Amino acid sequence: MEGKIIALEGSEGSGRTYHVSSLKAYLEEQGYGVVTFGLGMSRLMGEPISKKKRDIVFQRRTLFLAYVTDLADQIENEVKPMVKAGFLAIADGYTSTLKAWGLTRGLEEDWMNYVLSALPVANLSLGLVSTPREIMRRILRKKGVLDPLSSGIDICINGELFSSYETYLNTFQDNLRKVMQDGVIVDTSRSFEVVKAEIANLVGERIEKA
Amino acid sequence: MKGSIIAFEGIDGSGKSSQAKLLKDWLDSRVDAYLTEWNSSDWIHEVIKEAKKKNLLTPLTFSLIHATDFADRYERLILPMYRTGFVVVSDRYYYTAYARDSVRGVSLEWVKKLYSYAPKPDVTFFIRVTPEVALSRLKESKRGIKPQEAGADVFPDLDPEEGFLKYQGMILEIYDKLAEEEGFVVLEGNRSPREIQMDIRRKVGELLWKERS
Repeated sequence: MEGKIIALEGSEGSGRTYHVSSLKAYLEEQGYGVVTFGLGMSRLMGEPISKKKRDIVFQRRTLFLAYVTDLADQIENEVKPMVKAGFLAIADGYTSTLKAWGLTRGLEEDWMNYVLSALPVANLSLGLVSTPREIMRRILRKKGVLDPLSSGIDICINGELFSSYETYLNTFQDNLRKVMQDGVIVDTSRSFEVVKAEIANLVGERIEKA
Repeated sequence: MKGSIIAFEGIDGSGKSSQAKLLKDWLDSRVDAYLTEWNSSDWIHEVIKEAKKKNLLTPLTFSLIHATDFADRYERLILPMYRTGFVVVSDRYYYTAYARDSVRGVSLEWVKKLYSYAPKPDVTFFIRVTPEVALSRLKESKRGIKPQEAGADVFPDLDPEEGFLKYQGMILEIYDKLAEEEGFVVLEGNRSPREIQMDIRRKVGELLWKERS
């Protein structure tokens, strides 16, 4: 690529979008042609991701790959030709934002690096950070509420559905045993007939006693 | 209890989808079985269809969007089924991406890494027919050649029949290479569906029941 890609990286509320537009205005005043792009902004994936995001928030790999597809679509169809023609491209969230998102959720760094190696490296990357309190205040100013999903509440659970469910069921059943210390626990992992007979037995015994 | 993944691969028109369905029906009365098809995630599928219609995909985005489709099915369906002990019958698995993406010029090493999180199938049946046989079957069925079967994005200038032979020929070449490297069970597809299914059931029977006893 002949021109340049400048990436502003950071979380929601880090000031990414705001600084992308002010940087764009500044560079245009200096006489540069500037295009902007960024996470979730492609023609191919932008709308499907925003529509579906809430349903797949626990499928990290799917969401990660959807965003890589989203970036690749913009790079190949818009950024590459414009940059070749001498424009500067400013990214509102690029590979580092995506990688930090994935690392926070337990995706393997090597795997992400390899997948992202298909995209051009930004010529200049700026990571925008601020205090959590300030970031949240900005979001509240703009949106009025803190979205539970953006708050990373999803990272409280395990890596994928199976492990998460397993942990949940173990905890639930431990608690069930605890609250039923004086009751009877029936193990239904045995064959249906055996369990059925045991339940009939237990109920029969107790009815007679009562 | 860990489940099993049984994959079917082959060029379009090889009969692998019918074989996968027959196997799934046979398994249904014996074990918990689940059939998953390539490119069938409920939401990505629509995006891919639109993108192909409008010719929006480059080789890289073609590769990535199919990987997203697979990841969606993998995280939501395949992995939970596999981990809880289902036999997952997969009509096409990541080998399809290996073949289709590398024909489009994407690095095979990169594609392998892209899918490296997913387990290798316990067995992969490769139903092998030549593009000529597949084409004559498609003609008999009178359903016409779909643009993606003719690799219309790779060979936009060829007519559908020529495109089909050329594109499927290139895919077959990669499958042949993979068959050796990955240890596919190669099944001569130029036989009656019943004969092929008997071979498959014998092999699956060995895998599922002999190993456990």
